[in-house]
Parts: sequence; C-alpha cells; structure tokens
Amino acid sequence: MTRIRLCLNGRDVAEDIAPRLSLADFLREHRNLTGTHLGCEHGVCGACTVLVDGEPARACLMLAAACDEREVTTIEGMAGDPIVARLRDSFHRRHAVQCGFCTPGMLIAARDLIRRRRAGSEAEIRLGLAGNLCRCTGYTNIVAAIAEAAAATPEGESR
Amino acid sequence: MTGAATQSRFGVGASLPRKEDERHLHGRGQFVSDIKLPGTMEVAFLRSPHAHARIKRIAVPPAAEGRVFTAADLPRVKPIRIVSHTPGAKSPAWPPLATDRVRYVGEAIAACLAPTRGEAEDLAQSVAVEFEVLEAVVEAGEAVRGAPGLVHDQWGDNLYIERVIEGGDIEAAARAADVRISRRYRMHRQSGAPLEGRGILAYRDHRLDEVVLYASTQTPHTLRVALGEILDLEERRIRIVAPDVGGGFGPKARLYPEEVVLAALALELDHPVRWIEDRGEHLLTAAHTRDHHYELTAYADRQGRILGIDARIIVDAGAYGLWPQGPYQEANMAARSLPGPYAIANFRARTFTVATHKAPLGPYRGVGRPGACFAIERTIDEVARAVGRDPLAVRIDNMIGPQAMPFATIAGMRYDSGDYPASVRLCAELLDLPAVRARQSRGEPDGRLVGIGFAAFTEQTAHGAAEVAARGAAIIPGFESCTARILTDGSLVVMVGIQSHGQGLETTLSQVAAEELGIDPARISVRHGDTESTAFGFGTFASRSMVMSGGAVARASRMLRDKLCRIGAHLLQCDAGEVRCADGVVVGPRGSVSIAEVARTAHLRMDGLPPGEEPLLDATATYEPGISTGVFSYATHGAIVAVDPETGFVELLDFAVAEDCGTMVNPMIVEGQIRGGVVQGIGTALYEEIPYDKAGQPLAGTLADYLLPGAPELPAIKIGHLHTPASATEYGMKGMGEGGAVAPPAAIANAVRDALAALGAPGGAEVNETPITPERVMAAIARAQNG
Repeated sequence: MTRIRLCLNGRDVAEDIAPRLSLADFLREHRNLTGTHLGCEHGVCGACTVLVDGEPARACLMLAAACDEREVTTIEGMAGDPIVARLRDSFHRRHAVQCGFCTPGMLIAARDLIRRRRAGSEAEIRLGLAGNLCRCTGYTNIVAAIAEAAAATPEGESR
Repeated sequence: MTGAATQSRFGVGASLPRKEDERHLHGRGQFVSDIKLPGTMEVAFLRSPHAHARIKRIAVPPAAEGRVFTAADLPRVKPIRIVSHTPGAKSPAWPPLATDRVRYVGEAIAACLAPTRGEAEDLAQSVAVEFEVLEAVVEAGEAVRGAPGLVHDQWGDNLYIERVIEGGDIEAAARAADVRISRRYRMHRQSGAPLEGRGILAYRDHRLDEVVLYASTQTPHTLRVALGEILDLEERRIRIVAPDVGGGFGPKARLYPEEVVLAALALELDHPVRWIEDRGEHLLTAAHTRDHHYELTAYADRQGRILGIDARIIVDAGAYGLWPQGPYQEANMAARSLPGPYAIANFRARTFTVATHKAPLGPYRGVGRPGACFAIERTIDEVARAVGRDPLAVRIDNMIGPQAMPFATIAGMRYDSGDYPASVRLCAELLDLPAVRARQSRGEPDGRLVGIGFAAFTEQTAHGAAEVAARGAAIIPGFESCTARILTDGSLVVMVGIQSHGQGLETTLSQVAAEELGIDPARISVRHGDTESTAFGFGTFASRSMVMSGGAVARASRMLRDKLCRIGAHLLQCDAGEVRCADGVVVGPRGSVSIAEVARTAHLRMDGLPPGEEPLLDATATYEPGISTGVFSYATHGAIVAVDPETGFVELLDFAVAEDCGTMVNPMIVEGQIRGGVVQGIGTALYEEIPYDKAGQPLAGTLADYLLPGAPELPAIKIGHLHTPASATEYGMKGMGEGGAVAPPAAIANAVRDALAALGAPGGAEVNETPITPERVMAAIARAQNG
C-alpha cells in the first residue's frame, strides 16, 4: 500500500492504495467517479481521458500512485467550466451522442482542443480527435458540435 | 411524407434532440461496470491459448481452491444447444466452460474469483492446464473439402449447413451470354467492437427468490429464455437488466458462455459476481463477423445487361454456433441478398457454412449483406468495363424500376417499394461526378490517382414471423410489445421489450406516443431493457426496433387515447366521437379537460368515470407489420478516393449516401445512424481485420493491431434522402439501422478500381479483398503490371 494525496475535482483526498492500481480504477472503483469509461485499457480509445494538472491524460495508462500531489479533474468535476457547458449544448443539439460511452472522454479532449485554439477548422478538429474513438456516430456531428462550441468561445477563455 | 398528419414540434417527423443525452453528457450514464454492489467478487476467465487441444488435466493450486470454477464445479450448467429446423443443419453442443476439448483460442476453461480483477487475473494465471495440442482447421476452403481434420468429430465433415438458392435457368443464361465475368472476392474476419465490451453483474435476490443479471446485451428477454433452459430455472426466477449499453451492433444480440457461467456462479455463491470484458477478450471471443469467400460468375449481354449470376459462397463460421440462431443465417442472407437491387432472372448460389477452429461468427451490422453487396457491386463494375460502358449506366439499366414494385426477386425476397435508379442519380449528384471526372483528366500534382465508385443495395427490415420461420429458426422474432401507462398525474410511462443502446429510442418512441396522445415527450418516460418492467419482446437488432416497437407503441397509445377520449367526453358532457387528444388535453366542441384531470379521474376519482368504464389507463399491445416479408430500405453509396501508387495508401476524400427509409420519425437520428453505419462500413473496407495464422492463432489482440476508424482519416459523410413510405407499417416507416454499413466496402473498392484503371496493362488493377490495405493495393498493382 502506498499513500497518495491529490486534489480530485477541487477537493483534497487522501487514500492508501495498491501500487499497481491505475488512475482509472482508482477513480471508478474507489471514488465512484464512473463517468471515466474504460474502452480498451491500453491507451488507444480515449474513453478514459481525464485532466491531470490541467492536461489530458489516459486514466487507464496512468498509475494512481503517479498522481500523488497532483490535481485530477474528471467529467464529474466540469460543472463550472464554460467551454464544457458550450460543448454539452452543441453536442445535444447536433446529435453528437449515441451510446454515450465515448462522450465524457470526447468532451474533455474537445475542451482541450478549444482551449489550445486547435479547433479552428474541420481538419484541425479531426486531427485533434485522433486519440478518441467513437464507434457510433461516424464523427461528423461531433466535429460539427466542437466547431460550433469553438466559434462561440471568447479568446479570453482559451490560453 | 405520410403519417405525420399533425406534424408537430415533437411528433413523428420532428428532429427532436435526444432525451438520452443529458445523462451521458454529464458522465452519469449507467453501464454495467458502473454498478456497484457490496461484496462483489470479480471474475477473470482462464482461456485456451490453443486453437485445438485436448484438456488432459486442470491443476488448481491448493491456495486457489474454492475460487476457481471449472465445468466440473458447476454441474447445473448444461451445454448451449442451437435448434434449427432447416434440413441438414448441424449444431454442436457447446459447454460454457470447456470439458475435454478446446476448439478456439480464447475458449473459456475456468472462472476465477477475487476481490479485484487484477487479483482474479493473477489467480487465472496460477492455474495450470495440461493440453495435448492438436492440428487446427484454419482455412475455410480446405475445411469444405474435409482437410486437414474435423472440428466436431461426430459430424464426418466440417459443414454446419450446405444450401443452394436458385431460380431461372443459369445454364441457359451461360449459353446466351456475350460476356462472362468471373471473380473471387473475400471479406475478411472482423470484430463488431462496440466501445463498451461485454459485461455482467450477477447476484441472487433472496427476497424475490430470483437471480438478477445486469448484462450489456441487446436482447434481455431472450437472454432470460436461454438461461432458463440452460440452468433449468423457471423464468420467473430470473431477471435481466440491460442498463446503458455502450454500443451493440449485433454481437451483443447473442447468448455467450460467460452469461451462463456468471448466472450459475450467482446461484452457487452468497455474493455478487462481476465480469467486465477487456478489449483483448472482446477481440478474441465476442462474436466475430464477415469472413466471406465468393467465387462469382456473371453472364451478360453486349450492353451489360445481366442475364445470370452463378455464385459459390463460403462462410467461415468458427467453432460453435451462437444461440439462438446459430451460424445459419449469414450465408443464407448473403445468398438471398446477392441479386441486390437488380432484376436478375437466372440465379444460383451454392452456400457452404463451415466450421473452423476460430471464434464463433455472429451478427454484425448488415450481417450477410456487406459481403454480398461487395461481390455483386464489384461485379457490376467489371461487367460495365467489359462492355465499355459507364458503371452508373449499367447499374441503372439493370435495376428494378419503381413501376415494377412490388418485385419478387429470384432469391425469394419481396421488395415492397422504392425508386432504386433515383438513388444512383442522387448519389452521383451529391459527389458531383462530372467534377471528379474533370479532376481525373487533369491528374494530381502529388502523383496520386483519384477514383470514384458507387454501390447500391436493398435492406430487408422489420420482417415478421413467416419470414423468420422460413429460415428455419427456432426462435422467431416476429413481433414487439408495448405497455403504455398513464399515471394519476397524466404523465406517461412507455414500457417496451426492445433495448436502446445509442439508437435514441427513448426519444423516438416518445415521439410516437406524443403523436398519438398529444403528450409532450418531456412528460414521457420510456422503459426498456428490463424483463421486470416490460412485456416480452425480442430486443434490438435486424433494423427492427423503430418499426416493430414503434408500431407497438402506436397501437398501445391509441388504446389509451380511445379511453382518454371516452372519459374526457363524459367529463365534457359530449360524445366520445366529438373529442380528440392534443397538447396535453382532451378537446371537445365546447371546452377541454386536461389529460392530467382525466388521469386523476381514471385512478383517484372513479365517481367521474362513465357508466361501465373500468379504472386505470394501462394498455398492452403487440405489433407485427402488415406484411411478413419485410419493408425494404435501399441506398446508393458513393466514394471518392486518392490512391498513392508508390505506397498503396488509400485516402478517402469524400463519401455520399442517397437513401430511402420511408417516413423518418426523427430525421436527425436517422442521419446519425446512417453516418455511424457508414463509418463502420469504412472500417470493413479499409482497416479492420482479425487475421489468423496457420496454427489458428488470432493476430489482432489490441486496438493497436485492430484498427478502428478515427476522425482524422474520414470525410464528413453527405446524405440525400428519397421518400417512399411503406404501405404496410405505421406512418410508412422502414427500418434503417444497418444499411450504412452495407455498401462502403463495395463503393470504396469500386473507387479504388476506378483510380487504378489506367495502371498496368490491360485493364488496370483491382482489389477484391477487404480491408483494402496498402499491402493489398501494392500486390494488386504488381499483379497488373506483371500481367
């Protein structure tokens, strides 16, 4: 067992964990944050995408122990985020959700593209989604929803 | 468009945003792996590393005793058996945990239990199995001839079923033909690969005296039927819940050994058990798909008019049949779909469904059709080239025209309605064919070769009992059910036997109820996927749920509407014939009463009911379409590609679909289904394959080897609609869920063919195998250049 302390969705938590516990299993099984989904567990599908210190990370490939003294944000911690709010609205209106399994990871990846101003064209958005698989939608509506949210995001909210 | 007589902002025909989205956008969907019960033990399966072996001994370490379960530890589990009424069909008994023999890599041998999955996997690795490795049957073509051995000893051969579908006089067509085109086509084995794998949480509820399975399945009710039979348990003591399901696409519409084992464990043990499939297990053991071989000869006249088609089809179905339909439908559907939208008078398809030492084959979006479409549509293009005509013109010339509908095909289908040639013309418009031809004549600055290709198909949907019975099936999904219940406050619960896993049926079935009852979808809950709360139904597969379940919802809603009108008229002191339901009220000639008030009367104030009227607003209806032979959607798909002749890499530049699925309940959702299907078809065309080596080892075990289409390599998919409402269904709906996946392999292969037409001599290069990998393109170019 190893002790970790981290800031999880804005709150400090501390827990004794097995060294081999992945961040995804820590979030899902220990903290009941089940919005982080596991589609492949080897870093390809992107369904488990979360933010670690503000950067997108694969929760399936990262060990929970590696998150000691770090800040982790999951889809459940995005309530106050204006870009995610815009994405939720555009994903809904443009039918960018089908089964919903890729959706949380897709939103976190899309938010990051918009924040980094890497969502300026269809081609740029498509390239930016290379690490997030969706098996249902064919991506067309996801790309359109991200473009719409990007266009509505003022410069001050990106970095 | 018919049906949407009261075209409202939320009824039939409205692109209503989905009711399902809210929970998913907040990460609050509830998939099987999200459900937690105290004391749950995780299950990991010990699986066969060999394609074919005898199990000589299973050695469980003393420390693992009581936590490792083999077939011998679960005597209540009977083998899975498929019943087929088709003469000559063979079906092996399949023990959910292997007993003396394993027949594919990944076959389950033991279930290992521990508090975490990591520990359960460690436990599985501690079990030593002594195998006697045997020679594996891997090549389907050899398997047909009985070499090198038998998958099931007692059969005497490796044929699940051999069948001929024929009509007309193929020998006469051969004699009359000016042109004869023969080709071999191959659609390789792949996976359905929903983003969520399979998963099961099982426990015993002692209060209700039942075993409860939360399962990632498309078919909760028939899963209960199967478990009842195999575990010898009354169905009243089994509850299946399919919560949110992260994609299905067909593979989750079958019974799996893991479901039987988890239910059996839950009955034996005093704690819940959970198995969450990982991606490697999914690629190894969840239903594989496609794996078709074709030898096809087309006979045509000088104009390219097809006189006859003669085909030999081999489907490699793997080691066992999946319950309930077994491996029989794949080749049968391929053969019956082979004539496609064409008026072909002489036809013969000899089909062979063979057993090999591979994972069992099951349904996947399109089932037998993508392979059949690939074979016939590639052939149409070759016929056109042979007679020196444009493939589009030859396609249209051979098509069944709208004036010929309904049309009985030579392969035994009855096409109900549609204008097939119009879909070809519309698709060519969407891709601006003249502009592509001009671009081709200019050439590309980077040396790549641009090509355009088309493919058309028909899709049988929502077929009823007689059609499925004719296929020899023991379980006949010929109807759907709905219980509609208005509660005391006027809100509505619609309970259906299907299961929605991305199709948006919580939204579209609400729209149907709203259409009939005038109740806002925001005041409607759709319950599905739970055997406890819904009347029996078959589930969601075969492009059937909108038509079948939508029909049942329409009927149950109308039963409620009639009663609302009777009670409402009594309250309004007028005749029932004078009132109607709209916008949440019952409207009469001199006023209206809210549905909430009527509902209150029906439940809480019986003194307001008309004399003789029973309380409650609760109706159950079933629905089967007016014709059993199905309503046929159809489409033409078109692809524009750029092929790099130096590397063989194919880039998809544009893709368009011109389709007709009759009346659309929610056009936005229809287009979402089309685009999703198309991208799966693009996966079949260009990326997805599970190769097996000569020893029967599968070579794609991760998403790094098994390539799913991603956003960067895809264009936006264009869609054009035609509208021919079906006469035999509610509102004129036709099913359409699978069609998107049917034609992309054929359209893309035809586009690659078009791009490579000028390469080598004479006639250019063609790739008649999917996926069209750079390696296969380079091999085709080399063949063309070396003559």
